[in-house]
Amino acid sequence: MFIYIIRKLLNTIPVLFGVAVIVFVLFNLVGGDPTYQMLGRHATASQISELRHEYGFDQPKYIQFTQYLKQIVTFDYGRSYATKQPINGMIMDGIGPSLSLMIPAFFITTILSVAIGLWVAYYRGKLVDKVVVIFCVFGMSLPMLAYILFGQYYFAYKLGWFPISGFETTWPERFQSVALPMIIFIIVSLGYDVRFYRTAILEECNQDYVRTARAKGLSEPRVFFKHVLKNSMVPILTNVVVQIPLLILGAFLLESFFGIPGLGSITIDAVHNSDFPVIKAMTTLDAMLFILGNLATDILYTLVDPRVSLK
Amino acid sequence: MTDAIQKRSLWMDAYRRIRKDRIALFCLGIVFTYSCIAIFAKLNFIATPWDKVVGSSYQAPQWGWGGPLELILGTDIFGRSVFYKVLQGTRIAMSVGLVSSLISTPIGVFFGALAGYFGGWVDDAVVWLYTTLSSIPNIMLLIAIAFVLGKGLTSIYVALGITAWVSLARVIRGEFIKHKSRDYVVAAESLGASHFSRIFKHILPNVSHFVIINLSIQFVSAIKAEVILSFLGLGLQGQPSWGVMIDDAKLELSRGVWWQLFGATTGMFFIILAFNILGDSLRDALDPKIK
Amino acid sequence: MMCGLRGIPAISVRIIGVALLVSIGIAGCTSKSKNESLNVLHIVADEKLKGLDPIYTNDLYSGIQSSQAYETLLQYHYLKRPYELVPSLAQTLPTVSRDGLTYTFSLKKGVLFQDDPSFKLNEGKGREMTAEDVVYSFKRLADPKLSAPGWWVLDGKIVGLNAWRESVSNTVKTDYSIPVEGLKALDRYTIQLKLLRKSAQFLYSLAMPFTGIVPREAVEFYDREFINHAVGTGPFRLSEYNPNSRIVWDRNPTYRKELYPSEGDSDDQALGYLEDAGKPLPMSDRIVVQVITEKQPMWLNFLAGKLDFAGIPKDNFTSAITPKKELSPELAAKGIRLLKSAALDVTHGTFNLSDPLIGKNKFLRQAISMAFDEATFIDLFFNGRAIPAQGPIPPGVDGYDAELENPYRKFNLVKAKELLVKAGYPEGEGLPPLEYATISDSSARQQSEYFQKMMAGIGISLTVNSYSWPQFQEVIKNKKAQLWEYAWSLDYPDAENMFQLFYSKNVSPGSNDANYINPAFDRLYEKSSVLPAGPERTKTYGQMVKMLVEDCPWIFGAHRMSFVLIQPWLKNYKPNDFDHARYKYYRIDTALKK
Repeated sequence: MFIYIIRKLLNTIPVLFGVAVIVFVLFNLVGGDPTYQMLGRHATASQISELRHEYGFDQPKYIQFTQYLKQIVTFDYGRSYATKQPINGMIMDGIGPSLSLMIPAFFITTILSVAIGLWVAYYRGKLVDKVVVIFCVFGMSLPMLAYILFGQYYFAYKLGWFPISGFETTWPERFQSVALPMIIFIIVSLGYDVRFYRTAILEECNQDYVRTARAKGLSEPRVFFKHVLKNSMVPILTNVVVQIPLLILGAFLLESFFGIPGLGSITIDAVHNSDFPVIKAMTTLDAMLFILGNLATDILYTLVDPRVSLK
Repeated sequence: MTDAIQKRSLWMDAYRRIRKDRIALFCLGIVFTYSCIAIFAKLNFIATPWDKVVGSSYQAPQWGWGGPLELILGTDIFGRSVFYKVLQGTRIAMSVGLVSSLISTPIGVFFGALAGYFGGWVDDAVVWLYTTLSSIPNIMLLIAIAFVLGKGLTSIYVALGITAWVSLARVIRGEFIKHKSRDYVVAAESLGASHFSRIFKHILPNVSHFVIINLSIQFVSAIKAEVILSFLGLGLQGQPSWGVMIDDAKLELSRGVWWQLFGATTGMFFIILAFNILGDSLRDALDPKIK
Repeated sequence: MMCGLRGIPAISVRIIGVALLVSIGIAGCTSKSKNESLNVLHIVADEKLKGLDPIYTNDLYSGIQSSQAYETLLQYHYLKRPYELVPSLAQTLPTVSRDGLTYTFSLKKGVLFQDDPSFKLNEGKGREMTAEDVVYSFKRLADPKLSAPGWWVLDGKIVGLNAWRESVSNTVKTDYSIPVEGLKALDRYTIQLKLLRKSAQFLYSLAMPFTGIVPREAVEFYDREFINHAVGTGPFRLSEYNPNSRIVWDRNPTYRKELYPSEGDSDDQALGYLEDAGKPLPMSDRIVVQVITEKQPMWLNFLAGKLDFAGIPKDNFTSAITPKKELSPELAAKGIRLLKSAALDVTHGTFNLSDPLIGKNKFLRQAISMAFDEATFIDLFFNGRAIPAQGPIPPGVDGYDAELENPYRKFNLVKAKELLVKAGYPEGEGLPPLEYATISDSSARQQSEYFQKMMAGIGISLTVNSYSWPQFQEVIKNKKAQLWEYAWSLDYPDAENMFQLFYSKNVSPGSNDANYINPAFDRLYEKSSVLPAGPERTKTYGQMVKMLVEDCPWIFGAHRMSFVLIQPWLKNYKPNDFDHARYKYYRIDTALKK
């Protein structure tokens, strides 16, 4: 087990390296030199070269790349060009608001969709299956921006059920600030998840061991909960892990419209400002989370599903 | 021979199942209608010219019989018909979905097939490539590619195409690993079939239904991604896309102009709904495991 | 059995459904539990803030925020127009030596910095601000290690400061003890500045947020975190700072005695601006600044009364304002007021004169300028709230000539085509597509479409390249585009600030990004910059404008109007382009705001 984890961890190194290369190439090509923006329209040539030197823009690309690799290892990305804040601090500040929105939203979505998935899988092919699935699909067939615009205008402004925007750090006000964006998130993501889990559960239902269990005369609920649910944990877990990076970044639309100072909006700002250190930090962080999440599922698999062996 | 028959029966079976499924048929109808609209718009049969000024700025929708067709969804800031823009937007959406799928599908099939079939270092390389790509948040890749290639339809096609092949490749790889040791492939090998022929003539037809299922997912995500790109200012220029219309609406709604948002989201709603349901039905019909 | 099965998933659905309803309920029913006092200003910033350190405040919002805590030697009179400098930290306006080069300020006595842990010797009590603090703060603006975007306001102006900057540029730690000849604290309350050459505009620099006075203790105590703190002498103290979402300022209890002005413009009395004359500042107890970057939530928050004032987003314009540019009845019924004011700015298309094709062909530039229909542009993009510009100087500033008619800004395709013939490209033949640079946002996208359409009218085609904001700046500063649109807002109320954009010593990467080089213009510029305001200077300004009109380095665009909506309970809001510390004058009428 221990060796397995170590080996998996070592496997992540080439992936991280690949991420580093892609991020570096893409954003260096498109980045734009932030010096001019930082100094404004009155800049003098000497000021520009001073600043470029200070940030190391005048160094060869391979040296800049090695420095980036070093940053990944030490996890110290320095300061943002645009806000001059230490990036680790920005991440720490942004993670709270992001997670206050995403953890409950994600948690509710997952529970809800697994439950609905089980429910409709049980009635597969019947009317209730079709109706529920179609309703879930209804929800995901509109773009999130449309929900935001409408929800903010109608439920927050016209009806006054929610604050229009803004983020409170105290409880339970914090819950109020994220309530509407959370609901929007759930509506938008429910459809995808329900369909995914339904399929996953249905696949399990047709496995031989389920038939055997049924043939042995086990009751349907027992078959469903003892065997089917347990065994469909593998695809369910995979799907959960795949979405983990979205927890961090995925909500930038919600964040910018509802004024939640989270990581999503930090990242999008960084892209707009060519704030390369922040882009590097956020992308790498995200990739790491993704990779670690995958590792965690691999390990969890072995716990829920004895058929998966550690190779 | 046997696998060809098996294949045909799978498709025949799927066809029969789909034909019995009224909802799926209905969705197929929607897709067909949208395709017709897109083609007619492309050929300038309908909704043309979309940028003609047909009324004053932000004219409200006019219902009722005999009213001018171009005003049923009101007008936009420049007094252009929102209805025409929605119709022309169909053309953009369908082409974004289609072209990006045409880019991503061959890439995904190619890499997935190679990795699954050959295994070994080829597999390692392909898995590395797609793990790396999927580790980078999709939206960042989209932004970066759209920036590198500049603005316009082409860059949207390419950006969506390049980011979307990963999931297909993953599925195809898995299926190839399963199929390559099956009897019919082994038999083909003993008959002297080359790698190429085994990959493309024998295994690929047996996993092709995954390509079809993936297409419907790809269409949906492409149409949605176009909205996000427009919001980020990376969308289309001078073209009536749904993304741009919804992006415009973020400023219009609070002044009571709801029709542009309504038009674009309705247009979008039905096609995405249709593809989603169709995807499910196809999966149910084509996937022999779920029966 | 089946029944049980049916039940179980349904139960979990129900539980979650209840949880959801509860969440909606909480959000819906609880009103603001905090007992907020009513005397609070609610303000929106539509960009995230870039820090509070005065030397980095080169955007409007950071400048305004920083100015709540930091003060400058001088400030603008809040009410009087044309703008007038009055003392802030200085006791009076400075005495100027006969040669016009030496300025002596005496500082107000007993002005305290806000209490802050960085004043360790004083156990956190703020100490008195002195002349040494002024010297330190100005040197800090010049410190090469800090790369302050505000350096230009002192660059090349003060005797010995540039030399000091050079001398410390290669040291590890900047030595602030090295004296600078032109920057001396004569005693605890007297500061003397020596200029290299006479400048009629120098005093304006001392009212810009860049020259805010900071205490050395705080700078050193917080070091690189100083941008997140505010330890000044100003009317408000920072109590919450989250640059991405919210900033809260509270009344500074140790603020010096500063009074609301008791005189203003002739109609200020009638408009109610003098109701608070002579009362101590600041008028409100607290300022809550919300960062809202999207227009829809900003506008909805204003309509819901959560913001005390708001500019009107372009697309909400027609719902808020009737075609006669008056307030719409629905808003008027709520008691909301509309304030219109001319912003001191000019939008312009810029020609890159260092480009061989554009730079050498004056007729081409004139033709392009003439083929651009400004009136329609103003209607489409500024909702008609702008004045077509004939030259660079906006109305309200000395040198503006209402009679001026720029022959190349009269939309006339026939004449434009004639000019194009003179330029050597009849009907645009033989002219390669021009490289037009723009940024990637929706209104810039529409504007470039408009530009293309206009140029098509005389047979010129444009290649539009759109960039991210930093890329755009990079392209321009490296002279890589031929044509782009931009705007300039005056840093201070003097046309000199406009003319320096055409001074040959400021070419890219300086502020002269048209790369206009004209020795005759330079001579006039140098002459005018030492002239005091008066008929002679106005005449020189006129001559310079004439040169620019003829040489056409810019397509002069428009001077914009700003439209601001004000809630009935906000008093003393007077539009002001330069006074960044404006919030201290605003008052909430608590009786009207319940």
